[in-house]
Amino acid sequence: MTPAWTLISAFAAALIVLLLPARAAMASRVVALVASIIGAVAAGSACLAKLANPDAAPWSFDREWIPNLGSRFHLAADGLSLTLLFLTGITAIAGVLFSWNIEKRPRAFFAFFMTIIGGVYGVFLSRDAFLLFVFYEIVILPKYMLIAIWGSTNKEYGAMKLTMYSIGASSLILIGLVAAYAAAGATSFDIAHLAAATYPPAMQAWAFPVLFLGFAVLAGIWPFHTWAPTGHVAAPTAASMLLAGVVMKLGAFGALCVAMPLFPQGFEQYKALIAGLAVVGIIYGALTALSQKDLKFIIGYSSVSHMGFILLGLAAANHWGLRGAVLQMISHGIIAGLLFGIAGRVVYERTHTRDLTELGRFDLWKSLPGAALAFTLATAASMGLPGFSGFVAEISVIIGLWQVYPWLTIAVAAGIILTGVFSLRALYRAFFPEREAGAAPPPKLPPLTWPEISAMGLLLAVSIAIGIYPKPWVQLIDDGLRSPLFQSILSLP
Amino acid sequence: MNHSALFLQLLPEAVIVLTALVMLGAAVATGKKPGGEFSAGVGVSIATFGILFAAAAMCFVPQDGATSTPLLVNDALARIFKAVVLGLGLLAVWLPPARREMRNLGEYYALVLFALTGLLLAAGSNHLLFLFVALELASLSLYLLAGFPRTPRAAEASLKYFLFGGVSAAFMLFGISLLYGASHSATLSGISHALEASQPSLLAMTGLAMLLAGLGFKLAAVPFHYWVPDVYQGAPATTVAMVSAASKAVGLVVLVRILQIGFPNVAGSAAWGEMTAGWSLWLAVLAAVSMIFGNLLALAQTSVRRLLAYSAVANTGYLLVALSANGPKAAAAALFYVVVYGLATLGAVAVTAAVERDRGDDRITSFAGLIHRSPFQAVCLLVFLTSLAGIPPLAGFVGKFSLFSHALAEGGGMGLAWLVGLAALLSAVSLYYYLSVLKQAFVKSAEDVDVSTPLPISHRLCITLPAAALVVLGMFPLLLIGPLAKALATMVP
Amino acid sequence: MLLPYFIFVPLIGAILLAISRGISAKDAGRFASVCSIVSLMLAGYGWDAIREWSLPWMPDANIALRFEMDGLSFLFVLLVALVTLVAISASILKGKGDRAYFALILVLQSALFGVFTARHFIPWFLCWEMTLIPAWLLIRLWGGSGAPKAALRFFIMTLGGSAFMLVGFLALQLSAGTMDFDALGKLASQGAIADALAKSFAFTGMTGHTLLTLVALAVFLGLAVKIPIVPFHAWLPSAYAEAPTPVTMLLTGLLSKMGVYAMLRIFLPVFPEVLPALAPLLTWLAVATVLLGAVAALAQTDLKRMIAYSSVNHLGYCVLAIAAVAASTSDRSAMSSAISGVVLQAFNHGIIASALFSGIAILETRSRGQRGLNDFGGLRAQTPVFCGLFGIAVFASLGMPGLSGFIGEFLIFNGAFAITPAAAAISVIGLLLTAVFLLRMMRKVFWGPLKPSLAKWQDLTRDEKMLFGFLVLLIAIPGIFPQVLLHFANPAIVELLDLLRPIP
Repeated sequence: MTPAWTLISAFAAALIVLLLPARAAMASRVVALVASIIGAVAAGSACLAKLANPDAAPWSFDREWIPNLGSRFHLAADGLSLTLLFLTGITAIAGVLFSWNIEKRPRAFFAFFMTIIGGVYGVFLSRDAFLLFVFYEIVILPKYMLIAIWGSTNKEYGAMKLTMYSIGASSLILIGLVAAYAAAGATSFDIAHLAAATYPPAMQAWAFPVLFLGFAVLAGIWPFHTWAPTGHVAAPTAASMLLAGVVMKLGAFGALCVAMPLFPQGFEQYKALIAGLAVVGIIYGALTALSQKDLKFIIGYSSVSHMGFILLGLAAANHWGLRGAVLQMISHGIIAGLLFGIAGRVVYERTHTRDLTELGRFDLWKSLPGAALAFTLATAASMGLPGFSGFVAEISVIIGLWQVYPWLTIAVAAGIILTGVFSLRALYRAFFPEREAGAAPPPKLPPLTWPEISAMGLLLAVSIAIGIYPKPWVQLIDDGLRSPLFQSILSLP
Repeated sequence: MNHSALFLQLLPEAVIVLTALVMLGAAVATGKKPGGEFSAGVGVSIATFGILFAAAAMCFVPQDGATSTPLLVNDALARIFKAVVLGLGLLAVWLPPARREMRNLGEYYALVLFALTGLLLAAGSNHLLFLFVALELASLSLYLLAGFPRTPRAAEASLKYFLFGGVSAAFMLFGISLLYGASHSATLSGISHALEASQPSLLAMTGLAMLLAGLGFKLAAVPFHYWVPDVYQGAPATTVAMVSAASKAVGLVVLVRILQIGFPNVAGSAAWGEMTAGWSLWLAVLAAVSMIFGNLLALAQTSVRRLLAYSAVANTGYLLVALSANGPKAAAAALFYVVVYGLATLGAVAVTAAVERDRGDDRITSFAGLIHRSPFQAVCLLVFLTSLAGIPPLAGFVGKFSLFSHALAEGGGMGLAWLVGLAALLSAVSLYYYLSVLKQAFVKSAEDVDVSTPLPISHRLCITLPAAALVVLGMFPLLLIGPLAKALATMVP
Repeated sequence: MLLPYFIFVPLIGAILLAISRGISAKDAGRFASVCSIVSLMLAGYGWDAIREWSLPWMPDANIALRFEMDGLSFLFVLLVALVTLVAISASILKGKGDRAYFALILVLQSALFGVFTARHFIPWFLCWEMTLIPAWLLIRLWGGSGAPKAALRFFIMTLGGSAFMLVGFLALQLSAGTMDFDALGKLASQGAIADALAKSFAFTGMTGHTLLTLVALAVFLGLAVKIPIVPFHAWLPSAYAEAPTPVTMLLTGLLSKMGVYAMLRIFLPVFPEVLPALAPLLTWLAVATVLLGAVAALAQTDLKRMIAYSSVNHLGYCVLAIAAVAASTSDRSAMSSAISGVVLQAFNHGIIASALFSGIAILETRSRGQRGLNDFGGLRAQTPVFCGLFGIAVFASLGMPGLSGFIGEFLIFNGAFAITPAAAAISVIGLLLTAVFLLRMMRKVFWGPLKPSLAKWQDLTRDEKMLFGFLVLLIAIPGIFPQVLLHFANPAIVELLDLLRPIP
C-alpha cells in the first residue's frame, strides 16, 4: 500500500459514512475504524519499507492542478512525513475506539472525524504550499462542528474561540505564503521552489514572523495558546485527542517544513525570541496546570507545556533540535491522546465529573484499576521518564538546545520538574485519593470496555516502543531532515 | 459589417426580449379572463425556456473578432460572462420570488428578463454611453423588481435603491461626459489613446472618479452601499438573487473593461510607500473601507439577509483589492471570484428563502435545527457559507487565495501587502458571522418540533446546482479560471 | 543469549498474570514464584553464557541499551531472585495479595534485574524509575491505614532524588558526550570529565572541579535517598512500617541495595576526581546514619519499625566503607577489604532482613496484626522451632561470628579503621547498640513468662519451616564460607580498584 491510501481511506470513509442510512451507528463506527486501520497500516508499512530500503526514492504523486496559480497536486512521503502519518493513523484508531459509544448523530460525527484525519494526512503529505494550505484549512470546520455539537463544558464558546484562532492564524499563513509566492516570481507554489528562491532580508524580516506565527498559533505558542485549553476541554474526547494529538502538530509541522525553510534569514533573527517564548510556554503551562482543578484543563495546559518543547527544538535549529522537535510531535501526539482518552472518555463517561476533588470520591484505583494503571503509565510518559517516548524527545531537544542556548537548558530543567509535579498531583488526587476513614464507599462503576482497553493499550504500546527503541524512528526522521529543504536552517551559524 | 451579422451578434439578447414580450402577452391574456391569475409555474417555464434558448443562441453568435465594434464586442470575456449571467439569471428565476403570494407575476418575470437583457448588453460593450444605457436598463428593472411585493419593507427598499441608483447614474453620466470632453471619445480604446497622448488632465481624472463612483454603487462598495441592506432585506428573493449575483458580476466585468482597456496608464499605484494618485489607489482605499465596514457591520446582524448584504459589501472589497493591483491575472482572479461569490450568495439566498417559508422570517435564530428539519438545506448552506468564508475544498477558497496571491504578485513588488494582509485578516473575521449562522443550523435545535415543507423542484435545483458548482469549481478551478485568464490576456492589448 | 532475556521473564509473567482473569490469589502467587525461579535459573545459566548485550538506541549520542553481567551484578541478581522468592512465599503464607499484587512484584523484579545489569545510564535509569511505580503501588494499595501518606512521601522523595540524578547525568551527556558507565569511568580515570564540564559550562564561570562536585552531589543525592543515608531517610520508617511485610522485605532487601550497588558501580568510578573532596562529608553522613539508625531502633516499640531502623544502621556500615574508599589514596588492601565488605554486607543484609521480616510476618499473622514489642512474651516455650530459627537470624543481624552478618561488618571495619579510624571508632557504638536492641527484642518476645493470650499459638507449619529453614541456610553458608560469594565478586572488585586509582 502506498502512503496515498492514508488520504484515500480517510476521505472515502467520510463520504461512505455520510451515505449510510440514518442512525447507522455501528456501521459508521466500523467504517471509520476500518479506514483508520487502513491508514495506519499504509503508513506503517511504508515506514517499514523505508527502513528496509532507506535509499529508495520516496513515494510521490505529482499532477498538474491549477497552473494559473502555479500549484500542482504534489504529494510525497519522506521519512519525516511517514512517521507523522503513522502517528496520525494510530491516533485515528484510538480516537475511533474511544468514540465507540457515541450515539448522538454518529454518522455526522465520524464523517467530521475522518475529514479531520484526511486533512491532517494531506498536510503531512503535501509538497505544494497551496495544497498544504488547502488541507490545513479543511480541518477547521469539522473541528468546530465536533466541538460545538458533541462537546461539553462551555462548548460553543470553546469551539468558536478555537475556530477564530485557527482561521486568524490561517490568514497569517496565507499572507506569508502569498508573499513568498509573489516574491519568488509568482510561478509556483512548490515548497522546494519557494525555499530555493532568495528573498530580500527586509522582506524576510516581516514575512517570517507572519508565516511562523500563523503556524505557531496552532502549535500553541505562548501567548497565543489560550485557545488550546478551552478548546480541549470543550471538545468531545476524540476531538481533544485529535486536537492535541495531531492538529497541534500541523502547526509545528508547518513551522518546520514551510516557515523556516522559506525564510531562513528571517528565522535567524527571531529564533532567540521563539526559544524564549517556548520556554515561557513550558513553564507557564506547567504552572497553570498546577493550579487547575479540572482534569482536562490540566491535560490541556500540559499540552501547552509539551508543545513548548517542539518550538524549543525548532528554535535550536540544529540536527538534534529538529529531530527532537519531530520526536516530541510524535510523542506528545500519543501521550496527549492517551491522557485525554482516559480523562475524557474512560473516566468522565462513568463519573460525569472531571473535578479532582469530586473524582476523589470514586476511589478510581479501586473502581477502575485498569484506567488507573493506564493513567499512571501515561503520567510517567508525560513526565518524560525514560522508557517512554517523551524522554527520547526531551533529551534530544535538550541536547540540541544545549549547543545553542545553554542557559535556557537550565530553565527547561525547571520546566521538566514542574511537569513532574503537576502530573503527579493530578494522578494522585484523581486516581489515588487519600480518603477519610469512614467515608462513604465509592460507587460501583461499569468495567472497562474492549474498545477502551484496546485504545489505551495501543497508545501505550507505541509510546513505550518509541521509548525503548527509538532508533528506527530516529532513522526515519533523519531521512526527512536530510532533505535539501532543511539545509538552509541546519547550516545557520 | 452587415446587418444580419449585427443581428446574429444580438441574438441572445433578442431572444430574451422576445421572451419578455411573450410573458407580458401571456400575463395580459390570463389577466383578462375573469378570476384569471397568472401562475408562477407558467412564468417560470416561459422564462426558463427563454433563457435556455438564449443560451443556445449564444452558439450562433459569430466568434471571430471581425464583427466586433466598440459598441458590441464579442470577445471571450463577454461570452463567458453572458453565459454566467444567463446561468445566474436562470437560477434566480427558479427561486420563488416572495414569501407571500405576489400579484402580477407576469410583469415581474418580464422585468427580470429585461434586467437580464440589460446585463447581457453591458457585459459585451466597450463604449461608455452604451454601457450606461445597458446598465440603466438593468437598474430600472431592478428598482421595480425590488419594490414589487408592495410591502412597506419592499417599498423602502425600492425607494432607497432608486434614489441612490438615480444619483449614481447621474454621477456616471456626468463622469462620462467629462471624459468625453477630455478625450473626444466615448469608446474605451479612444479614451486610452487620448490619455496616452498627453498628461491626464484634471478633467479626465474627475470624470474617471465620477464614473467609478457610479460603478461603486452597482458593486455595493462603501461609501455607496447604503441601499444594500434594505434591498437585501426587503426585496423578493429573486430580486436579491439578481442584484447579488448577476448584477454584481456584470458590474465587475464592466469595471475591469473600463479600467484595463480605457485607463491602463492612469492607474497610479497603491503600493505601500510609493502611492501615487490614480484609480489603483482609489480602488485600494474603497477596498479597504468596504472590507472593514462590511465585515464589522456584518458581525452585528441578526437577520440573515442583512448579514448577506454586509457580506456583499465586504466581498466587493476583496474584488477591489484584486483590481487595484492592476494586472490581468489579478483581474482574472477577481472575475473568477465574483462568479463563485455570486453562486454562493445566490444559494444562500435560496436557502434563506426556504427557511422563510418554514419559519416565516430570516432571523438567524430561525435557522436553528435546520439540520434536523432538512439536512439537504443545511448541508448546502454549509457549502455556501463556508465557500463565502473561504474554506477549502470549496471554490470560495481558491477564489480568495488566487485573488490575494495575484494581487500581491502583480501589485508592484510587495507593495500591496498591506491591503492583502488586511483582506486576509478581515476574511478571517468573516468566518465568525458565517459560523454564527451555521451554529444555529447545525448545533442548536429548534424549540418547537417542526418539519420542512417540501420545496418545489425548481427551488431545490436552485440550491443544489450552485452547491455542486462550488464543490466542482473548488476542486477543479481550472475549468473556469483557465478560460478567464486566457480571455483577460487576449483582451488587454 | 540469555542476558537481556532473563530480565523479561518476570515482566512477561506479570503481563500474563494481569490478563488472566479468574485465577485465585494463591495460584497467582505460585505462578509468580515459578516465574521468579525460572528467571533465576536463566540468570544463573546466562552468567557464563553471555555477559554483554547491547542495542543501539541513539547511536549519534552514544546512547545504547547496554547490559552486562559481571560477578558483582550476578551477586545482586541472585539476591533479587532470592528475596523476591521469599517475599512471594511469605505473601502466600500470609494470605496476602491478589493477581495485581503478584504482578506488581514481578514487574519490580524485572526492573531490579535491569538496575543491577544495566551499564548505561539510560537503561539503568529506566529500570531505576521502573522500580518506583510498582513499589509505590504495593505500599499504597496493600499497606496499612497510613499507607497513602507513607507511599506518597516515599514516591516524592525518591523521585525528587532521581530528578537531581537525571540532571547530573544530563550534564555529563552534554559535556562528556556519553552516559555509559564504563566509558565515563575510563574518561574519569584520565581526569577528562572535569575538563569537559569546564569547557561545556564555561558560561557559568565555574571551574571544572566545582562543576564536577556539583554533578557528583546531584548523583549522590539520588542514591542517598534510596539507600537511605541520613538525613534523606525521612520516607523510610513510615514506608517500611505501613507496607505489607513482604513488601517491606523487598524495600529493605532490594530497593536499598540499588543505592549501594550504584555507589560501587557509578559513584566511585565516575567521580574519582572529586572523591577526596567529598569523602569527609560522606564519612560523617555514614557515621550519622549508623548511629541514628541504631538509636532510633532502640527507641522503637513497634517491631517492624525497629527492624526498619536497624536496616538503616546496617546500610550505614556500607556507606561507611564506601566513604573510606573515597577517602583513601593508596591503601589498596584496605580499600579492597572495605569494598568486599560492602558487597557481602549488602548481600547478607538482604537475606537477614528478609528472615527478620518473615519472622515479624509470622508474628503478625498469628496475632492478627499486632507487632508491638510488648504484645508478646515467652514464646520460646510455645514455639521453640520458630524461636530457634528467628534467633539465628537475629544473631546473624547483630554480627555473630559464624553467621553471615559478621564477615561483612568485619571486612568493613577492617578497611575503615585503616583509612578513617575516627569515624570507624565512633561507628562501633552502632554495633553495640544493635546488640542491645536486638537482644532486648529476643528477651521481650521469646523469653520470660508466656502471655496467656498466646497460649494457643501453634509452632511453625511445614511451609513456614521450609521458608525459614531455607533462609537460615542462606545465612549460615556464607557465614562459614564467605568465599562462595567473594569468588563471584572478586574480579569485579579488582577491576573497580584498578579504575579508582590508576594514577599514582
